[in-house]
Amino acid sequence: MAESEPLIGIDLGTTNSLVATVQDGQPVIIKNRTGVPLTPSVVAVSKNGKRLVGGIAKRQAITNPQETVSAAKRLIGRKFSSHPVQDALRALTYQVVCGAHDDVRIRLAGRDLAVPEISAMILAELKADAEAHFGRPVTQAVITVPAYFNDGQRQATKDAGRIAGLEVLRIINEPTAAALAYGFGRTVNGKIAVLDLGGGTFDVSVLEINNGIFDVVATGGDTFLGGEDWDHRIIEWMVFGFAKEHGVDLRKDRMALQRLKDAAEKAKVELSSVKETQLHLPFICTPPGGGAALHLQTTLTREKLEDLTADLGERLVGITSEVLGEANVRPSELKEVILVGGMSRMPRIVEQVRQYFRREPCKGVHAEEVVALGAAIQAHALVAQEGELLLLDVTPQSMGVAIAGGYVRRLIPRNTTVPTSATEVFATSKDFQRTVKIMVLQGEHELAHHNELLGEFLLTGLREAPRGQVEIEVTFDINAEGIVSVSARDRDTGLRQSITVTASSGLTEDELRRIMDEQRDWMVTARASEELKTKRVELDTLARDLVDALSRVRLMPGSGGLSPDVVARAEMALDHARQVRGGEDVGALTRACEALSQSLPLLRSATPRGTPGR
Amino acid sequence: MNTLRARQLVEAGLLLRLSGDTPGAEKLFLRALELDPANTRARQLLGQGGGATGPGAARAANAAGPDLEGDWGAWAESATAGPAVPLPESVSLPEGTGMRGDALDLIAEEHRTQEFGLPETFSGTGGPLPQGSEVECLLRGAEDLLTLDDHSGAVDLLRRAQSLAPEDPRVEALRDRSERILVSMLEARLGDLSRMPRVRLQPDDIIWLNLDHRAGFVLAQIDGAVSFDDLFALSGMSRLDTARILAQLLDEGIIAPGESPGFTRGG
Repeated sequence: MAESEPLIGIDLGTTNSLVATVQDGQPVIIKNRTGVPLTPSVVAVSKNGKRLVGGIAKRQAITNPQETVSAAKRLIGRKFSSHPVQDALRALTYQVVCGAHDDVRIRLAGRDLAVPEISAMILAELKADAEAHFGRPVTQAVITVPAYFNDGQRQATKDAGRIAGLEVLRIINEPTAAALAYGFGRTVNGKIAVLDLGGGTFDVSVLEINNGIFDVVATGGDTFLGGEDWDHRIIEWMVFGFAKEHGVDLRKDRMALQRLKDAAEKAKVELSSVKETQLHLPFICTPPGGGAALHLQTTLTREKLEDLTADLGERLVGITSEVLGEANVRPSELKEVILVGGMSRMPRIVEQVRQYFRREPCKGVHAEEVVALGAAIQAHALVAQEGELLLLDVTPQSMGVAIAGGYVRRLIPRNTTVPTSATEVFATSKDFQRTVKIMVLQGEHELAHHNELLGEFLLTGLREAPRGQVEIEVTFDINAEGIVSVSARDRDTGLRQSITVTASSGLTEDELRRIMDEQRDWMVTARASEELKTKRVELDTLARDLVDALSRVRLMPGSGGLSPDVVARAEMALDHARQVRGGEDVGALTRACEALSQSLPLLRSATPRGTPGR
Repeated sequence: MNTLRARQLVEAGLLLRLSGDTPGAEKLFLRALELDPANTRARQLLGQGGGATGPGAARAANAAGPDLEGDWGAWAESATAGPAVPLPESVSLPEGTGMRGDALDLIAEEHRTQEFGLPETFSGTGGPLPQGSEVECLLRGAEDLLTLDDHSGAVDLLRRAQSLAPEDPRVEALRDRSERILVSMLEARLGDLSRMPRVRLQPDDIIWLNLDHRAGFVLAQIDGAVSFDDLFALSGMSRLDTARILAQLLDEGIIAPGESPGFTRGG
């Protein structure tokens, strides 16, 4: 029987990403090729032009800030002019430009890339990790997104999957995936809260679970609060301590700052399990006047870290309280509280959550892995048709149409369970109006331009009549995957126009195909480059061996009995190897290796007695 | 003509010595003496080299800087250039720590000449040199070092020359060529670049080393999980500077080259 195709679940995070699968009925995390579960969501082009993804890209982020893209998730599927993008721009070190359709483009190594292209690089890395794990191709995945992602962001995430060569079986909400990982579809009926404190964002969601049906009843949070804020506090503490001791500001040195960042993150993680940790950074900087390099050596205690970050912890509680209040949910109503994200392992945070909810939060599964595990469970359920894990989500933001005066008329309020449908009748606003423009908007602001434009279309051929007399029926349909279809019908003539919002990721189908082609080309080139590198190593090894053998032969009387022709040919082979080594022609390198290989045994057959040995 | 050239070589040698490359400087002083045996300045400076002598010292010198002997690229280069000039033992004298990073910083420093009183040295050996002579000196010195297979010293001089004459195509071409050769030599020294080096010393021992912050940065990135290739990408420095630091760390036994990913020891 043919082996079924492997399925994966991907938690595509702002700071870190993970990939999981279901194996022998159990969800498991797939470690990446460096042996760790977390892959930083960072993409870079190094100073030597190499594309870097994951941990290696993160480790050069501070020394190469302009060519390192992190937190692309904050930008995906958004308009360049939108407030979240404009807010995010202030904190970005790389260059972001406006695309042709007000979409976001990231300038990397002189090229303007769409955000899904960047996300696709991360997804492709996770796909490759999964393929290394299974030993065969992986093409199908479920990817998670925050519950508040609008349709454009979901579509853009799907596009990223396509570029990476993945068929995205489903996009599911992160809190839903976390709840799935805890098996709450079977064991819990009632409301649960999911607090997800990631590297760069804090999301609070309230889910209602009823007989295996997951309903996201409220979402909220702070998109600029996460583990990195804790890292920054540790960095500041180290920087000021060092400045006090040595009079040197380490922030001015990018190399020092990179090391501080790495050390801070490591210390933060360690302090979740131990009470104190050593920070040991030898040769951190050279003093301005020259002289021996200085070392940074200090001890950070958990107590000190809690002291440095007390206000951040309080912010978490405040935000949680706000979201629950907005959803009219009392902490005592909740059946369970799930903590998600590496940061939520910090004892102080667990304690604060315990105090606020007056219950012990769930910690049964590794907090960093639950979302990916849930996505894997959903992927398995979708294909295996096992169980009845019907994921019922809600619209994270209200949807409506623009109306006269630049306002919005909401047809589907925020937190409406999907699939859903709503119809409303509008009238023309001008005399003898023959055309209406339907602008589909998502957001909470009363003014149209403050909302996200999901799409627009025209309904033409209206009957000429005084304003208010022609009635247009507008219908919104949102399917279980959150894909929005909007139609407008002239009630007099029956004329109808509709739109399915699919292009708001910022990429047209043509662009998407071009990018997919480019990605394929890149993969081919990358493989060729790998081959080139391997061949060069082989050439170097052979050449070194030949040089050694030649040197030995030259020291032997009578060239060890070899004919002058053998030595000359070896020298020619070596000379030829030198000429082709710097080139890009794998064939030429292969031929040069062959020539060296042929000469080597002949030279090695030389003997001091002058008779070639066997 | 030989007298002028010898003076140029002495100046270039002084720059190298200031940048920490004493063996390279001494090669130039020797060459200057070959051209002009009456050049007392060259003789004086050669005598000031200091340090230990003998075979042990020679080995130490080789360990401090990138040893290019046995490198196939260097061999092929010298094979085409004819037999290398036999050098007296003093050429291989060790010089302090041999820290390339410090040397480069010194060379890049704008007010270096004033600080170290070089103008006096220049004028002390027979009157002022023609306009733009410093670049010429550096070029001459670099060319001579290249014939002696001292690509490292040549690159240092050419970097300095390029800072003085950024548009000079001769400097650019020579520097480009020297850097490429030097990088390939240093890479050959590192071996298979897909290998993942690891640190051989305990943290407590590391602090006693004599490294600068750039070497400290590279060393901090070495954890047994990143390859030499990756280190080139994440160092944030040029390939040459990174290769020099890695070769130094390897030579001094601070790191071990490690194994290639997927390498299995055959039975």
